[in-house]
Amino acid sequence: MGTPLKKKLPKNPLEVTIAGLKFKNPVMTASGTFGYGAEFVPYTDLEKLGAIVVKGLSLYPRQGNPGPRIVETPCGMLNAIGLQNVGVDEFIEKKLPLLKGVKTHVIANIFGETIEDYMEVAKRLDRVKGVSALEINISCPNVKKGGIVFGTDPQEAFRVVSAIRKSTRLPLITKLSPNVTDIKVMVKAAEDAGTDAISLINTLTGMVIDVEKRRPVLATATGGLSGPAIRPVAVRMVWQAASVARVPLIGMGGIMNAEDALEFIIAGAAAVQVGTASFIDPDAAAKVVVGLEEYAQRHCVSMKELAGSLKLA
Amino acid sequence: MQSVESKILYNDRLAEGYFRLGLQWKTPEVRAGHFVMLRVSDGMDPLLRRPFGVLRVIGAKGKSSRGTGIELLYRVVGRGTGILSAKRPGETLGILGPLGNGFPVPEKGQKVVMVTGGMGIVPLYMLAQKLGQGTLLFGARSKKETFLLEDFKGLGLRIKTATEDGSAGAKGLVTALLEKELAPDTVVYACGPMGMLKAASRLCAGAGVKCFVSLERAMACGIGVCLGCAVRTINHEARENRNYKMVCSDGPVFDSRDIDWELL
Repeated sequence: MGTPLKKKLPKNPLEVTIAGLKFKNPVMTASGTFGYGAEFVPYTDLEKLGAIVVKGLSLYPRQGNPGPRIVETPCGMLNAIGLQNVGVDEFIEKKLPLLKGVKTHVIANIFGETIEDYMEVAKRLDRVKGVSALEINISCPNVKKGGIVFGTDPQEAFRVVSAIRKSTRLPLITKLSPNVTDIKVMVKAAEDAGTDAISLINTLTGMVIDVEKRRPVLATATGGLSGPAIRPVAVRMVWQAASVARVPLIGMGGIMNAEDALEFIIAGAAAVQVGTASFIDPDAAAKVVVGLEEYAQRHCVSMKELAGSLKLA
Repeated sequence: MQSVESKILYNDRLAEGYFRLGLQWKTPEVRAGHFVMLRVSDGMDPLLRRPFGVLRVIGAKGKSSRGTGIELLYRVVGRGTGILSAKRPGETLGILGPLGNGFPVPEKGQKVVMVTGGMGIVPLYMLAQKLGQGTLLFGARSKKETFLLEDFKGLGLRIKTATEDGSAGAKGLVTALLEKELAPDTVVYACGPMGMLKAASRLCAGAGVKCFVSLERAMACGIGVCLGCAVRTINHEARENRNYKMVCSDGPVFDSRDIDWELL
């Protein structure tokens, strides 16, 4: 009657489906920045989140690296924590029960030094109540192979993901390293190995030098760069990955607010992870959800519609 | 533990590079040795919050450790504290806290000795205030820093000073003063530079005296999740079982025997 037809916003505009799992919204926490989840109870509402991705788990507990482990950088930080964690068994016995009854998905991030380690961690988490999916960290050094990294060699990546695929029935998310020449090759390797989704990017390798002492600031010399400094690199890599990916992408890298998250979604990510921002504001991920809701209302668009909707000239 | 926006009540310059900061905050219980993480800038650079020891609670009534604000003393040491020093009353800052374990109270009959270096004096104020007695050994580079003692006068403490250049009190390191105070029934609380803490720890271990140290480390989160502020520890009873503990969530106060001072 004269008024233009207004598009109707879907009922749950933030809801997304990844690897067969329904998420109430596309906002997850990034592994290594959110502990085992319970640490954030005093500061945020865990049920506001689409998923909690816990600290990377190994077969046995790991002590991590000597200090200094972190240093601030322009708009970011370098870390070399050394994958310190309680080990998969203690996680299942002591940490996971703390999230019992919390209505959100828990995704266990796993890593190993050998393919056998990865497989065993995956097996132990299979059929554990309360774990919705596994995120495979393939960016850590493969000690047995003398420093080759699973995450930078497509054949190694294929081997490890294929092996894990056979060890569990849980949905698999493969987390890719940005420290490669062509991310598309890694995307294909992970997909061919049977991954259900891909998350990217892990940290970029970096270094800070104390010029007075002529020493690296970090005890391990190099570390992983995170924070808003890496966001444009991350958005670019998600966009490149989206050009070839057949499985859903989960984008991350320096997301501080909803606008940042939207860049990743428009570039092609079905979901996002909030990392370093949680150190500065433990409620940051939940605030991103609020911002996405506002955007969805304002633009009358669901996250599903928005994903990969980038307009190129 | 809270994450709040807090109004600056005052941010007064005490001496060149030293400031007294008052923050409005209806606090939960804040104990001696607790710290807070402050966000000195809303922007992305500097990105991380900074840890600050709490000097005292403002407006605490009677024996309550809750108040209407907190007061901090800080020294400008880098960009973060530089930005903080330019803040005016009425501006706001993000506070995360109170954090950490705080100092354990002395056992009955224990003689208290506090040993501090420079700004390390700050987190001991509330302990001194609570105890209303004990010995405070204050170490500084020179007389210029002795204004830090002002708050501690009138708390009923016996105060001894050592300066590296001898411009106030005894000439030399504060740990030289500590040696003379280590009677068997003593408990030592120490905060200051790593070298001082290590020396204090060694002296106390030699004398069989219990020593609690408050450590400082670069940290991103303050709540035990970034795992950045790790210190190497020893289980002093088992003498093995070495592992890393977090200054923010396991500390910042540790039994000095539990710290691996060689590998720190």
